[in-house]
Amino acid sequence: MHRIAQRRIIIPFLLPAVVLLAIFFLYPLARTVGISLSDWTRTGASRYVGSANYTALLSDPDYRSALKNTFLFTFVGGCMLFPPAVGIAWALNQPIRGERFFRFVVFAPVVLSAAVVALMWKFVYHPTLGLISPALAELGLGGLAREWLGDPLTALPAVAFTTVWQGVGIWVVLLSAGFERLPREVLEAGRVDGAGEWRLFWSVMMPLLHDLLRILLVLWIVQSMQAFAFIYIMTGGGPFGSTEVVGTLMYRTAIDQTEFGYAAAMGVILVVVMLAVTTILNKVLKRDDLEY
Amino acid sequence: MTLNTEVRATPPAGRTRPSSQDEPTSYRRHHLVIYLVLGTIAFSAASAFAWVLNVSLKTNQEFLGTRPWSVADEFHLENYANAWTNADVGAYFGNSVVVSITSTVLGVVVSAFAAYPIARIPFRLNGAVLAVFLMGLMVPWMVTFIPLYLTLQDLGLLDTRIGLILVYATYNLPFNIFVLVGFLRSLPGELEEAAAVDGAGPTTTFVRVILPLLGPGLASVTIISFLSNWNEFFYALVLIHSPSKMTLPLGLFQLGQAADYGTNWVTLFAGMIITALPVLILFALLQKQVTKGLTAGALKG
Repeated sequence: MHRIAQRRIIIPFLLPAVVLLAIFFLYPLARTVGISLSDWTRTGASRYVGSANYTALLSDPDYRSALKNTFLFTFVGGCMLFPPAVGIAWALNQPIRGERFFRFVVFAPVVLSAAVVALMWKFVYHPTLGLISPALAELGLGGLAREWLGDPLTALPAVAFTTVWQGVGIWVVLLSAGFERLPREVLEAGRVDGAGEWRLFWSVMMPLLHDLLRILLVLWIVQSMQAFAFIYIMTGGGPFGSTEVVGTLMYRTAIDQTEFGYAAAMGVILVVVMLAVTTILNKVLKRDDLEY
Repeated sequence: MTLNTEVRATPPAGRTRPSSQDEPTSYRRHHLVIYLVLGTIAFSAASAFAWVLNVSLKTNQEFLGTRPWSVADEFHLENYANAWTNADVGAYFGNSVVVSITSTVLGVVVSAFAAYPIARIPFRLNGAVLAVFLMGLMVPWMVTFIPLYLTLQDLGLLDTRIGLILVYATYNLPFNIFVLVGFLRSLPGELEEAAAVDGAGPTTTFVRVILPLLGPGLASVTIISFLSNWNEFFYALVLIHSPSKMTLPLGLFQLGQAADYGTNWVTLFAGMIITALPVLILFALLQKQVTKGLTAGALKG
């Protein structure tokens, strides 16, 4: 029987993947909690300290401010992401010319490295060498020009915008697939009944896409709460800690200050918060399947 | 001016797709808005790229002295030569090529072997093994990078390209296995039986019968793995410290830090183009596969 012969290959076939996963993923993962309960010194010696790292975090103003900025980043970025993403996805599902071209342009930034996009936008925002402020000055709006990344008021939105600019393509493609799957008969019925496109969009399409939007919202929260590369490259957490999120604070605490235990505790707390937020959102936004 | 062309482009738009039904004229005017919005987005993205390209061809004095959108009066291609040799972008490029290709091949080969028994050989732990691999799709990097750093330190792999390759290959596994298992399950169930009747052993069956049929699945995980390994920044930042081993995103970041304090801006811009060009070309050639794959990748959350 070939079934019996097949059994001989199960272990050798699985082994390389399992070994890699065990060494570089499962073992580190299991170690995290242990690390967060210890105190690490520069020499690499560790000492069990119980929940000391966690209690210290609760009263750490830096961590609290980072947590606040993380939420702010998620919120501001979400507001910048969803309306355009839904609009573009809707537009791409209208019978238009050059759809392929537009899809290419919207998606192209997604395949670039965060490092390239972040550096590029760091210069775009530059007050004298960039594009935005000189362009505003040229238009006689010089009063609006500012040091986008150097001003605590605008730095976080500016970085959030860059993150969204790079990633919007993925969301457009996902939403676009949702629009494509909408039942054509329902839309046609609406049109026959004289509903305009605007009305159709709000009263028919959005309710039908409710579940997809909920999933994408949760996905955005999970992603944006782990934001790191753009912030680290563009502002490094500054000015005055206004863009310091948990990701960047954790990195600096771990790598620059070798406080591995403290940093690990930061990560564990953030993941717990993340799970709590997404679970609550999933519950609140969940509703019975729509009948149509 | 632009407005005019947009308006003229609008009327025939409704008829470009034979599949769409006859549309009432009442909502054609929406197309004007659509073209304006999409046109603006396309224009801003294209102009950002054009701007980087333009600056990469200027001299530093020109970059500092002229308006940002003035066209380089002479194409200073020596910026690219400078970036490549003096700013070490060539070395970063070499590291990136070695690291991304090796880790991609390793990740794809290992996951092809692992996906086969999970998908097509019934044994007691199929489900459990798959679940463990898929867990890798859901765990945030924040809870793994510190112990990963320490583990690589213990193994003496910190600040080595081999360490980075092994890490990248491992972090490609969950997605690769997810896609390949789905693909393998869609193949007809009689393949192995037929091969066994012909006297082929299980390994021969896998190599001669299954692998060739797996082509499209392998192609798509290879493209996606390569893209993400080529672009990866965070683990490179954590695990690599010596400039001679840096990959492009990390090297470019270092170059950016240096440009903040120095004056060598145009070299940095040339480096950005050098980093972006390979993936943009790859994307232009394989738009469909890349879009589909990255979308599946985004849903892994």
